Amino acid sequence: MIRLTIDDQEVSVPEGTTIVDAAAKLGIDVPIYCYHQSLGPLGACRMCLVQVEKMPKLATGCTTAVSEGMVVHTQGPEVEKGRKGVLEFLLINHPLDCPVCDKGGECYLQDYAFEYGPAKGRFQEPKIQKVKDGPINEFVLIDQERCVLCQRCVRFMSEYVGEEQLLLEGRGVETVVTTVEHEPATSQFTGNVIDLCPVGALLSAPYNHKGRPWNIDRQTTICPHCPVGCPSKMTTRESHIIRMEGRPVPDRDWGWLCDRGRFGYDFGYHPLRVLDSTVQGKSLSSAQAMRDTAQWMKETIREHGFGSIGVVMGGHFTAEEAYWIKKFAEEVVHTSEMATLRNVPGYLPISLNGTFEDIDQTDTVVFVGVDPYEAVPVVHLKLRDRIRHFPGLRVIGVGPRKLTSGTLPGIDYQVLGEDEAVVFAQALLLAKGDDPTVQMLGRNVADYPLPVDSETLKTLGETLLNATHLTMLWDGENPEMEQIFKALTILRQGRTAVLPSFGPVNWRGYEKAGIPVRYEDLRNLLMKARNGDIRMLVLWGADLLRDFPDRDLAREALEAVDYVVSAQIRPPLDLPYTDALLPVAAWGEVEGSYVNMEGRVAVAAAGVQPPAQSRPTKTYMVGWARLFQQTFGVEAEWDLFEDIEGDLIPRNADEEDMTPQPLKRPDPVEDPTQWRVIRGELVLENGIPSEILEPRISLFVGRIHPDEAQALHIPAEGGYVDVETSSGTITIGVRADESIPERTLWVPRSGHYEWIASLNGVKQLKRREEVKSL
Amino acid sequence: MKPEWSQWAQEAKKQFPEANSSLLPLLHRIQDAEGWLSDETIHDVASLLGLTPQYVESVASFYSLFYRQTVGKNVIHVCVGLSCALAGSDHVMEELEHKLGIREGQTTPDGEYTLLEAECLAACDLAPVVQRNLRFRGRVDATKLDALLTDDGKEVNS
Amino acid sequence: MSQQYYLLRNREVPNIDEMPVYLAHGGYQALRKALNDFKPEELVDMVKKSGLRGRGGAGFPTGMKWGFLPNDGRKRYLVVNSDEAEPGTFKDREIIEHNPHQLIEGIIISSYATKAREAFIYCRGEFLFGSEQLKRAVREAYEQGFLGENILGSGFSLDLEVYRGAGAYICGEESALLESLEGKRGNPRLKPPFPAVAGLYGGPTVINNVETIANVPVIVTKGADWYTSMGTAKSPGLKIFSVSGRVQRPGNYEIPLATPLRTLIEDYAGGMLPGRQLKAVIPGGSSVPLMTPDKLDTPLDYESILQAGSMLGSGGCIVLDDHVCIVGATARLVRFYREESCGKCTPCREGTYWMTDVLDRLEHGLGTPEDLDTLADVADNIGGKCFCPLGDASLGVLVSALKYFREEFEAHVAQHACPMGERLYDTINN
Ligand SMILES: Cc1cc2nc3c(=O)[nH]c(=O)nc-3n(C[C@H](O)[C@H](O)[C@H](O)COP(=O)(O)O)c2cc1C
Ligand code: SF4
Ligand code: FES
Repeated sequence: MIRLTIDDQEVSVPEGTTIVDAAAKLGIDVPIYCYHQSLGPLGACRMCLVQVEKMPKLATGCTTAVSEGMVVHTQGPEVEKGRKGVLEFLLINHPLDCPVCDKGGECYLQDYAFEYGPAKGRFQEPKIQKVKDGPINEFVLIDQERCVLCQRCVRFMSEYVGEEQLLLEGRGVETVVTTVEHEPATSQFTGNVIDLCPVGALLSAPYNHKGRPWNIDRQTTICPHCPVGCPSKMTTRESHIIRMEGRPVPDRDWGWLCDRGRFGYDFGYHPLRVLDSTVQGKSLSSAQAMRDTAQWMKETIREHGFGSIGVVMGGHFTAEEAYWIKKFAEEVVHTSEMATLRNVPGYLPISLNGTFEDIDQTDTVVFVGVDPYEAVPVVHLKLRDRIRHFPGLRVIGVGPRKLTSGTLPGIDYQVLGEDEAVVFAQALLLAKGDDPTVQMLGRNVADYPLPVDSETLKTLGETLLNATHLTMLWDGENPEMEQIFKALTILRQGRTAVLPSFGPVNWRGYEKAGIPVRYEDLRNLLMKARNGDIRMLVLWGADLLRDFPDRDLAREALEAVDYVVSAQIRPPLDLPYTDALLPVAAWGEVEGSYVNMEGRVAVAAAGVQPPAQSRPTKTYMVGWARLFQQTFGVEAEWDLFEDIEGDLIPRNADEEDMTPQPLKRPDPVEDPTQWRVIRGELVLENGIPSEILEPRISLFVGRIHPDEAQALHIPAEGGYVDVETSSGTITIGVRADESIPERTLWVPRSGHYEWIASLNGVKQLKRREEVKSL
Repeated sequence: MKPEWSQWAQEAKKQFPEANSSLLPLLHRIQDAEGWLSDETIHDVASLLGLTPQYVESVASFYSLFYRQTVGKNVIHVCVGLSCALAGSDHVMEELEHKLGIREGQTTPDGEYTLLEAECLAACDLAPVVQRNLRFRGRVDATKLDALLTDDGKEVNS
Repeated sequence: MSQQYYLLRNREVPNIDEMPVYLAHGGYQALRKALNDFKPEELVDMVKKSGLRGRGGAGFPTGMKWGFLPNDGRKRYLVVNSDEAEPGTFKDREIIEHNPHQLIEGIIISSYATKAREAFIYCRGEFLFGSEQLKRAVREAYEQGFLGENILGSGFSLDLEVYRGAGAYICGEESALLESLEGKRGNPRLKPPFPAVAGLYGGPTVINNVETIANVPVIVTKGADWYTSMGTAKSPGLKIFSVSGRVQRPGNYEIPLATPLRTLIEDYAGGMLPGRQLKAVIPGGSSVPLMTPDKLDTPLDYESILQAGSMLGSGGCIVLDDHVCIVGATARLVRFYREESCGKCTPCREGTYWMTDVLDRLEHGLGTPEDLDTLADVADNIGGKCFCPLGDASLGVLVSALKYFREEFEAHVAQHACPMGERLYDTINN
């Protein structure tokens, strides 16, 4: 630690800290434009001038590292004059159009101009003219005249994200920030530059001119689109969500969002939003719909007894809503048949669950089936952050496609999804075959044929065992991985952490509220429905046909029951089987807790009212209870925070069985020349349709190997193919992707296109010449 | 992309411990052959060196000798540095504008000449100085201007 | 004036740029001597003892710079700065065009001394002929075994590459030069770390000016004592001064340091043009304050010029006579810095733009009395606040011109016109 004095106050900070950061520790604000802690010093804007005793000139606080005994003054006539000068320079070529600027009222330039600015402009020369309102892409606009060339945006994109999409063009006073030949920036992270821009040069296109600081409200929330649950702020105006911004959490999160999270906030206003209650084809008032559905419940219980109603939760409800549902199920309709909608079979015991701190410390990260860029984008950024500070980071991908990337380069072990766990077991056998745990683990799979040579596998095993801090990201596709994780925890010296990337986003919250979340729970529930033991399904945000992988079982269950009641914010694929469709409040419309992939709880505020007839979950539960002449509720509020430590769900290993079991041997592949369908996440497809995102969403979501694409004459931007499946031919959009193996069709796990759900037994792909639209 | 470019890229890469260093040499070589650097060239160079077009554009636009617009067969640089100005370079520029019928920064309609300002060309002993395709012409006066535009292009060093 | 040349040997030996001629006149003997008779450390000591100071502008002691390289086994580089673009300076160009082998010989010796295995010459993009000469000379040196593996059987190996810039003055600044050499935009780097610790490709790097390195074979041949016998104790040895502007014989003059400025201008450069009076001299390239005629007897060494209120800089000496408009000349130079500002930092980027506009206005008689104060204040807001020295460099002439020739600025305002007719000089038809 280094001790120094800033404005007569003493402070101790780690070696290498900049004066700006040291001052911030004392609550002293040194004005900055170019400096951003996440990007490191640049020293370009010169706004952060401070006086350091014994230095001949003013120093820039952002580039000067502290030293023992240093005495710094962040105020004084000389400092003031220096900053005033810099500010004046920044303003000479600035259009001074604050009244029409979105950033007005929340702009560093305005703030500092107020503090340091000259009363009257001395600059009489013509200002340099540059591009105004030029698009960076569909979401981001640039006003080059307002730009102060702090380079935050350019550096963020190229150094931090690793996708060089913004550039500095030209030199000197003619320098501008732009995109190459005005091609739109395609990165998943472009919106962050809006938050990063200290002035009004980079603006949100959908928010442009929509709000002014005095007529908007900002609420603390989290992003509901993926299990990362990024801290964010929601801007509302007249009960409309009009913007999402990142919300930095000191020492934990920089406040980055992916473009899905930042711009996909309009799903609540999508034309497809379910707004009315529809019961057996008729639009009813919500009171009537509740009476009718309550009647069905009573009838079902009367005729088939307790336990004949099954409840499935999906969507992105709060943990409190899950709690209300559970309470209603158990206390009102007396059923314990509850489940969570899962689209992959894996489950992770909470004691193995890592946190993002593990990413900050890890030396080896393994992607099991998951491509973090698409599935959990901000985790990808966190890994980028890690690799910038720790270039030796080992990145390993194990899954049915290439998972490491140019921005997170590493080694890939490409195997079929069902063989993922075997890869680990054999790697461990080769590296530590004399260990009884390893022997037990690999008992059934030691001789299972894999397309990876044993030398490479052995290296993997050694890496896994020797890594000092192993972090694994897991898509949950191969449930046997749970055994591997348990075994690794026993076998390894250092920390082993697993971050589950699967959904639904708040499954840990549902679990904490008491809803069963394992895949088997849902499977059993659906089998009971198919077999007639369950006679009514209440689907809370769950769309079985869209998300449950065993579509046949889902369909049979839906067909078999007497009643399907489905509360949704968009029409489900289950619609043809639905007897009552109820509009329910979405994220942003109710306050409540979310538990993210770290097992960390965060509270999201309600910023707006649920639209039209849509009602919060609690209203339904309390209302139905009343129809059952029960009055539970208000007194029985549940506080998730009461039984957790800090904001983390406790890692209670004692309550979980942590003994690994021998791996099951995967069934051999019937015909290796057959086309295979593999699934994964696609961030823009992920979740609920958004009109803002639509222009960016490709019609060509399917991916195939480049050779195959070439053979099918698919153009670079994508094209249509006819897919012959066991249940007929479907036309889909595909494009070439190097990460996809041959004879493989990759599709999003779920998405906007219904065909994604019906791709069974692909036999052949054929080029389709002419498709107008689908 | 011209077929020889990838060989040029290979050659340039071999000269340096790190591939990025070959960017300026390759841009020079291609510009020497093509006269300027088109958007397409920027993309081609990027793919030849494993860089992004953004990166290449950003670098190329920093340097005044990389032309991102078409130029004439002969690029005439008139030094406007102080020492040349003290020897009458403003007048040289005016004369050339007059003779070529264009303003500074422009190219003659026949694509023969582009007239540009240059900052001090480090040849103040020869002021006023003009370069034609980077070949020096020193102590330029009215009589030398015609020759300057049409001679064999070799450097005249004193 | 008859004179002995050590750096500009082309002045007395025609075609010394060709290998056979250079060899016939003792070329590469210093290299042999260095490799045979000296250990690298001894050469560093010799250069330290010679007191040689960097000729690129800052005048930093060369031997000391070489001594900064950390001994940590990393690969070292030597980079020669041949980006000469400081207005009024043209000495390096003469060396690379007409005496390139002496530079190359100096590079090999210096690399041996600093244990660099790879060297680069960063040649200004506009120097097409110069870079061709260098490339040819390097090829010849390879053919003779002076470059490549196991040079002259000494076990020392060196590769030398000529790299051409592409038009950017800032790339003369050492860290911007390294960026450019790494294929990037020429923005200066944050220091520390200094190039000696983390330079080219992050490795320990020595950067020296062409003239600095061309001195090295001379020092090896004639010895440090001989070198220190010229100049002063703190500024020993030889220096090339480039004289330009309104003198009879513009050109490069190789003279011992501490020669009076008057001698350089009046004797070597032949004095002023007929009937003209000296008005001011910019003695060290456009980045230094100008000097008035009363300072003509200042000895041309680093300390004396500093004391006289200017800097020796690169030795580019621009002479202005009584027909030159100071406002116009200043505007011209400040415009140069505006054109060449890299744009990274605010005060330099915006300040040079502002100053240029004000100066242009003044020169055209459109200035106001407040403009003079504004200029001084803008200069003050630039001074000492930029990322690299370029911003400060833009102020040298301006601030001194405002100090010594304020009445001329005021006359522009008062007369609403340039008293000299807005034309710096017109010689095309005379
Ligand atoms: C803006 C700027 C331009 C410079 N241009 C040159 C140049 O053209 N040639 C040069 O040798 N040094 C130039 N320098 C100085 C170099 O940064 C560096 O100090 C020098 O090359 C070191 O060599 P030396 O010690 O042999 O002088 C420049 C410095 C600055 C700040
Ligand atoms: S002073 Fe600033 S803008 Fe000027 S050249 Fe240096 S870094 Fe670039
Ligand atoms: S914040 Fe320090 S120079 Fe920009």
